[in-house]
Amino acid sequence: MTDVLLPLSIAVPIVAATLPVALGRWDADVGWPVAAVTTLGLVGSAAAVALEVYTGGPFDHELGGFAPPIGIELVADELSAAVFLLVALVSAATLVLSRAIGPRGNAFHSAYLLLTGGLVGVSLTGDLFNLFVFLEIVGLTTYALIAADRSGASAYASLKYLVVGTVGASLYLVGVGYVFLATGTLNMADVSVQIVERASYTDPLVQAGFAFIAAGFALKIALFPVHTWQPDAYQRAPDAVTTLVAALVSTASAYALIRVTYSVFTVEFLAANDAITTGLLLVAGVSILAGSGLAVIQSDLKRMFAYSSVAQFGMVVAAVGIADETALLGGIVHLIGHGLLKFGLFCGLALLAAGYGARRVEDLASLARDAPFASGALAVLGLALVGVPPSIGFLGKWYIALGAVRSAGATGGVVGVGIAAVILASTLFTLAYVARVIERLYFAGVDRGDAERGSAAGHAGTPSGGPDGDAGTAVADGGGDAGPETIPTAPLAVLVAAALVAVGLGFAGAGFETLLDPYLTEVFA
Amino acid sequence: MTGATVALTAIPPYLVVAVASLLVLALPRAVGHGLGALATAFVLAQAVLLGDGGTGAHLATRFLGFDVVFFNVDPFSLLMGVVVGFLATAAVLYAYGSDAPRWVTSFALLYVATTLGTIYAGDWLTLIFFWELTAVTSTLLVWQHGGAAVRAGYRYALFHGTGGTILLAAVVVHFANAGTFLFSETAGIHPTATVLAAIGIGINCGFVFLHSWLPDTYPRPHVAASVFLSVFTTKTAAYVMYRAFPEGGMWLAYLGGIMAVYGAFFALLQYDPRRLLSYHIQAQLGYMLAGFGLATAVGEFAVVGGFAHLFNNVLYKSLLFMAVGVVIYRTGVEDIREMGGLWRVMPVTFLVYVVGAASITAVPGFNGFISKGMVLDSAHEVHEYVLLLDSGLLWWLLVLGGVGTFMSFIKLGYYVFFHGSATLSPDDATPFQTAGMVLAAGACVFFGVFYTQLIELMPFTDLILSDEVYFKPYSTSHLTESAALLVAGFVGFFALKRPLGWLAHHVRDVDAVLFPAAFYAGRWSVWGVTESWAAVDRATMRVVGGAKWVAMNPRRLLANAGVDAEIRAGIGRSVLLLTLTAAVALFALLLG
Repeated sequence: MTDVLLPLSIAVPIVAATLPVALGRWDADVGWPVAAVTTLGLVGSAAAVALEVYTGGPFDHELGGFAPPIGIELVADELSAAVFLLVALVSAATLVLSRAIGPRGNAFHSAYLLLTGGLVGVSLTGDLFNLFVFLEIVGLTTYALIAADRSGASAYASLKYLVVGTVGASLYLVGVGYVFLATGTLNMADVSVQIVERASYTDPLVQAGFAFIAAGFALKIALFPVHTWQPDAYQRAPDAVTTLVAALVSTASAYALIRVTYSVFTVEFLAANDAITTGLLLVAGVSILAGSGLAVIQSDLKRMFAYSSVAQFGMVVAAVGIADETALLGGIVHLIGHGLLKFGLFCGLALLAAGYGARRVEDLASLARDAPFASGALAVLGLALVGVPPSIGFLGKWYIALGAVRSAGATGGVVGVGIAAVILASTLFTLAYVARVIERLYFAGVDRGDAERGSAAGHAGTPSGGPDGDAGTAVADGGGDAGPETIPTAPLAVLVAAALVAVGLGFAGAGFETLLDPYLTEVFA
Repeated sequence: MTGATVALTAIPPYLVVAVASLLVLALPRAVGHGLGALATAFVLAQAVLLGDGGTGAHLATRFLGFDVVFFNVDPFSLLMGVVVGFLATAAVLYAYGSDAPRWVTSFALLYVATTLGTIYAGDWLTLIFFWELTAVTSTLLVWQHGGAAVRAGYRYALFHGTGGTILLAAVVVHFANAGTFLFSETAGIHPTATVLAAIGIGINCGFVFLHSWLPDTYPRPHVAASVFLSVFTTKTAAYVMYRAFPEGGMWLAYLGGIMAVYGAFFALLQYDPRRLLSYHIQAQLGYMLAGFGLATAVGEFAVVGGFAHLFNNVLYKSLLFMAVGVVIYRTGVEDIREMGGLWRVMPVTFLVYVVGAASITAVPGFNGFISKGMVLDSAHEVHEYVLLLDSGLLWWLLVLGGVGTFMSFIKLGYYVFFHGSATLSPDDATPFQTAGMVLAAGACVFFGVFYTQLIELMPFTDLILSDEVYFKPYSTSHLTESAALLVAGFVGFFALKRPLGWLAHHVRDVDAVLFPAAFYAGRWSVWGVTESWAAVDRATMRVVGGAKWVAMNPRRLLANAGVDAEIRAGIGRSVLLLTLTAAVALFALLLG
């Protein structure tokens, strides 16, 4: 009966999303408990699904008893279970963070639940059109959440994402339409069969379909040059929202790209269309370099790590384009790992911003003395992002680079070696901007002692509505405020745990190989 | 093998000693030293017991993916184990009696442990590991004393760091060619690594011109530390030299001959008693290397002579350091010209000094006589570059070294114990110092009289004691030779006393050039590296700074170039980009 968990995991958060707004008439604080209970249930469900998948193998659920290909199917396999687990855990962790630093309203929690439900839907659905629906749910709630702090800049960022994102989603829909025309079905598993039976891999309809879908995903994932919405959105959104969005939203789209490319179009389609792999690798390579380069020159911390995401997702897409078993394993590991790392990094930045008003690199000066745990976790996560072993960041990049070199060895092509070189170069860039952060945190040599404390004391002397309100305004007015000079304990514990997990998973290379092996074998059969 | 022997082969002795070194720190001083002495006595007992059928490569395993042997027991490592265990026990007692701080004894035991690791290594990887550790522990032992020992300790560490690295290179070359680190039954280090190994080990052996660290370091630390230092590093090096070159070679033999003369000559010029003894370490190592070097030219007899001399040298050289140490410990004076007439007030010390001096100068009845005689006999069979008396250059070098040894010990004894009236009236040795010295002195006399016992401990025992080999230490010719040396020594010393005093003021050893040269070379190279690095750094920073400015101010750069455009993409341009991307993707797929 585990398969019932699949529809429940999607439906319950979406239904629960109505509760905070509905009950908000009577209780202004009902949102958090509703969200917390729902998310906890989601974590349990994700754990149960993962356990079933990794011990008993993949399973599916036919919605409403309608058998596919007509009916909609939810599928849990080795890949989707991993993403589901990441979504559930990061959502739960973000809730701890938002509880401490805001936003806290019922509207936020409704949107949060809707977003979570949508993300779970993206990771579990086995239907192309259903995927579009969930992508739209994710997109729309993200637009709303980005604008949640009601500042002008965030409204503009949200509007930009709305317009561009809608065009992107429409491109995806057009692509799905073409595929439907060619195959007459929308069920992913069925499409992969019908492409061969009713069309061919070189059918212009199929090719055009893939082109539209890939372009749409490129936007959702935020690959160069269609990443333009992403830095604004990450920078201007409230800190807790950035954490959630950066860790999960693009991750879900990248997951969808892997899913559609390998489960729907299949690796034979890639083999039959050299132009696609070349194009994907080209975009990915440019994305890696441009994202890393742009990240290096940023001074705003959130913007810096936003551009870093452009580069990291470039690597995941490169893994898709290489079409090698090891590389795809690396892509999946990096997808999960990047979600975890970005959650940790943005969580750490949010805490430092809330506690000390640090929003730009120079604001971090010698913060390690006042906030040793948050700074330490930030440094560890940053180094993991660079790819210093042992860490999950190293594992992902390592497998991708290994796969790239291997495929180059197999085909004698320079492209694989080029991708490996690009990954290496971007590691250096990543080191450059992470080193800037660490250098500021630890070696700025600024004595934050008396002068800062004096001004902080003077600041505390003015009536400002207690530490909670203080933290709220620090988030709301987007910096410039020195903050309460402390960091809330619960999210700090979550942050440190994230850093430890990021390092601990670095030892789990063999584990990832074993767990994902059935999926990879099936895809590359 | 009996059950007890099997059990013994499972216990690496260096672990026992290492544990004891920690206990010395943790426990009360008397208890700790007692345990230390027990641990080293265990090493001795283990080596003796394993001599009865316990040989073999024990604790063989794979480490870092290589085959290694952590406890290699064969006749050579056993004889080293016997003498190191015995002497270390005596030295721990001596240290206890000399008020050695607990840190000194602890470091010393750690040093003994690493030495044992080197001795019992069954492969080059384990050997180089313990070899480097020995350098570290002995440096710690020197540094512990503070003061002048610190700078000398730095030089010591530099020498041994260099030597260790060169030997490491030799081991790597050996592995690259031989394909294994394990010792071979017959061959030593691979021929391609000969020069590297010779220099790497040679630094620890005190090869002429590579020996500066020896007289520089050993006089400086605590007197008890000197006792430990004087025996283990150099003798282990000689042992490893044999491991590397079991076939010997005439280059090694002649090098040994030169070391014997060079060391004895510079010893003659010294007035610091421990510095004098340090030069004799070099001279004595010369005899051992001469013995090893003749392995092919003369045969096993020469090898056994070298090892017997090594064995005896450990005993009497430490005994001499102990005796001299007592004098320094009691008087605080480190210049023999300020001593004198001490034989009346320090009779025990005087007596053990005489035993030690008689042993090192090869007076009949003492152990040095037996082993030095074997080396000289071996050298006598070499007829290259024949000089007087139908004897070759090598023999004459060794004999000349012997005369020099005689002269310098007459000098040392004369200045310390006779030489005018006593101006100092210190107490004699403490009970535990006496215990340590009597142990060592007893062994010197025992092996001098019952010399077959010495041969029993050596490899190739049956061969030496068989009728094929003429081994009669107390034959008339040997006794005559010894008497001649003795007379030459006495006559030489009293005849040359004044010229030697003049020479002592005017002849400097190579360290007078070597140390300043190394110092200024170091300074200049640091300056050169720093300055060139700074130049590279400045250039890099200029480039990076320029790149950063361009990156940070792209709009101003464009404006400077005459282009006035907004770079950050707004909504409209984003949609345009997206549409273009989709179009490109379509074109690429459909037309590509």
